[in-house]
Amino acid sequence: MKISSSFFAGLLGSAILASSMLVHAQTQSTQAALVKQSSIVFSGTVSQLAAASFAGVPQSPNTIVVRVDSVLKKPPAISLKKGDNVTVELKDPSAFQQGTQATFYTDGWIFGAGVAVKEVGHRIILSDAPSAGAPAASEAALVQTQDQISDQDLQNRLNSADFVVVGRVTEVRRWNVPKSSAPRVSEHDPDWHEAVVEVQSVLKGGPIKGNKVVVRFPGRNDVAWVHSPKFEKNQQGIFCLNRDQASAVSSEKVGGRQVSVYTCLGHGDSLPMSDEARVRSLLKK
Amino acid sequence: MRALAAFWMRLLVFTPIAVITGTLLLLKQSPPETGIGADRLQSPGTLRPAYASPIQVKLVDIIPASLSGETNQDSEPFLAVQTANPQVMVASAFTPNPVSSRGNAPVYVSQDGGNSWLLNAITPVQRMTCDITHAMPIGENHPRGDLHAGTLACAASITLNESESNDVSSSAVMNVQSTRANVDQPFVRALGISNSDHIYVGVNDFNQPNGHTATVDVSVDGGVTYKSFSIEARNTAGQDGPSVRPAVASDNTVYAAFFGWRKFDGKTATSDVVVVRDDAGGTGPNSFQALKDPSDKLPGRIVVKRTSIPWSNAPTLGQERIGSTLSIAVDPNHSSTVYVGWADRGSKGNIYTVHVRRSTDRGLTWSKADLPHTTIGNATNIALAVANNGVAGLLYQQLSGGRWVTHVVQSHDGFTTVQDLILATVPANTPVQQFLPYLGDYDYLLSVGNEFRGVFCANNSPDLANFPQGVTYQRAANFNTKSLTDGSGNPVAISIDPFYFSVPVIP
Repeated sequence: MKISSSFFAGLLGSAILASSMLVHAQTQSTQAALVKQSSIVFSGTVSQLAAASFAGVPQSPNTIVVRVDSVLKKPPAISLKKGDNVTVELKDPSAFQQGTQATFYTDGWIFGAGVAVKEVGHRIILSDAPSAGAPAASEAALVQTQDQISDQDLQNRLNSADFVVVGRVTEVRRWNVPKSSAPRVSEHDPDWHEAVVEVQSVLKGGPIKGNKVVVRFPGRNDVAWVHSPKFEKNQQGIFCLNRDQASAVSSEKVGGRQVSVYTCLGHGDSLPMSDEARVRSLLKK
Repeated sequence: MRALAAFWMRLLVFTPIAVITGTLLLLKQSPPETGIGADRLQSPGTLRPAYASPIQVKLVDIIPASLSGETNQDSEPFLAVQTANPQVMVASAFTPNPVSSRGNAPVYVSQDGGNSWLLNAITPVQRMTCDITHAMPIGENHPRGDLHAGTLACAASITLNESESNDVSSSAVMNVQSTRANVDQPFVRALGISNSDHIYVGVNDFNQPNGHTATVDVSVDGGVTYKSFSIEARNTAGQDGPSVRPAVASDNTVYAAFFGWRKFDGKTATSDVVVVRDDAGGTGPNSFQALKDPSDKLPGRIVVKRTSIPWSNAPTLGQERIGSTLSIAVDPNHSSTVYVGWADRGSKGNIYTVHVRRSTDRGLTWSKADLPHTTIGNATNIALAVANNGVAGLLYQQLSGGRWVTHVVQSHDGFTTVQDLILATVPANTPVQQFLPYLGDYDYLLSVGNEFRGVFCANNSPDLANFPQGVTYQRAANFNTKSLTDGSGNPVAISIDPFYFSVPVIP
């Protein structure tokens, strides 16, 4: 009987612990998801309801002013620091009153004399909660989660690529556009160049005949192409490729063999070899 | 007792004097400051004597305080003013969405006559436009609209969107009304007529047959429908030049100027400067054919025949590219008077020379030579406007002595006598270009009441010597150390910013 009581007490304790760990894991997971969707994350204290913190922001029952206690995530261009007042447009203002403390997961809205954001989500900080007095721990968790965001962006890019290859650039040359598809003269002319890439391995997509591909890329530094990768001979890396839809000629002879032509146009479509393990890991997901 | 009374009397007399003197001394010694928060904005009327201009010029770096950490090349500016309420303005530049590569490209909005600006991500283009112009006519009577924009989206192909916003302060993304690919450099002008917005978008449309690419898209129903008119009637070198510029007068007269490329070898365009006119707002059966050239009887008056225009899509004039700067302006109240300005190959020693000519008979005949004071070497980004009193305004940027010098010139007599103000004179070699165009393929000038308003881009070093008429920064800047910070004291690199200005029209 005595053993049985201890056994059940232990069982109950384990259940509570497991349940608590599950709740904690779920909270962390929700928090991570919110951080991924948010460009600006901060904790703060509500100072005004149905108000805006600077001129030019449309004031409504859904806008509140929050005094920033701690900035957890923001792009470097944005000026935001402890003590600043931020306008937050809430999805539902009923959960907030003056003095409410919360972590706000937000997206940028209006940038003027101050910052206005739109709520993606929030987490109320209860004054008697164990985490209330430990913002540093919360911040550390968020910073850790932030590292996963670039993975998320990279994952999206990998998903939209037709091929992801590891390769080495053996040749770079200007592509003389055939007269039949000659582009018109514009400031935004891409000035197409071609990189012949010797494919060492295919991380995504089917086999590549002859292990060579031609990758077209804009050589020009016009505003339209400023974020497109520029290739150099002997460059080695991981390349996210799409079937060529920009230059209108989709195959070409390399070494007497007709090979497919791809483009590599987006920011982050050319990655250093140091990212290989990360890319392989993301492609498995 | 008397001594005590005398002491208190002296104290009473000298204390206010000491306070006033101290305050004046402090004011004199205080460095000009800007920082987070708009409460330190200096209006022209409050500029301190050391920095004030005898002419009431307003010059504002429009990067908001909350973006003090940004280092983008915010080049190629444009400006729209709400005609009914000129306090409301929209400016644009190659400014990316500050928080997300998937977010919408932003515009700058002012609701206080240009004293303060904020960034609102409402264009239909993802992240950053690669061309944007706009106008705010009053036909539809929206207090903070109608903004009509022509934007190019930068992607594998370049796509034009013609779109509108009824409230530029809202977060609603602009409504795309018309879209097509394979066009270049949309340039929007508009006029509100009878409760409807008439919109004119100059584009270089590669979809037009026979290389007659100079085109004006016309909408007389607020952008609900557009009709495209090729305005080129002659043989071309396969296409016209990128710049196609409309100008609209209040009597519904519409002009458009373009470069009719007759020959092109990759480095030089042999080009006519052509002006077309329509007397019915582009709604008649033979739109834009009112002017015919006496030489060939074809539509389009040739202002200058076969001039040589250098085309360089690489840093050539300082760090700027050249090849297609063009502007046209009509007197809003006397549509017979119209000015056209362009740049071509200059005389020896000049890479690129700006010219201005005028017609006073609805474009039938033009001044045979450049107007006085308007042959300007090593200059680009010409923008013309005509004020209500007939005064012509000319904005341009000149490379001179290793600096980019931005001028705004006014004249009431066809530039025979001029008022020439330098708005900015900044180092031309810094910052290093991130992409082209460095300052922009255009800037912009327009007239509002008794003001010329405009935008240009320049190196943003907070150095008062660079801005002879004075300047106001919204972003965190220290004019003593001539440095920028991110608002938290951390240094921020110099970059290219858009500047808004207002200059009173001369009598």
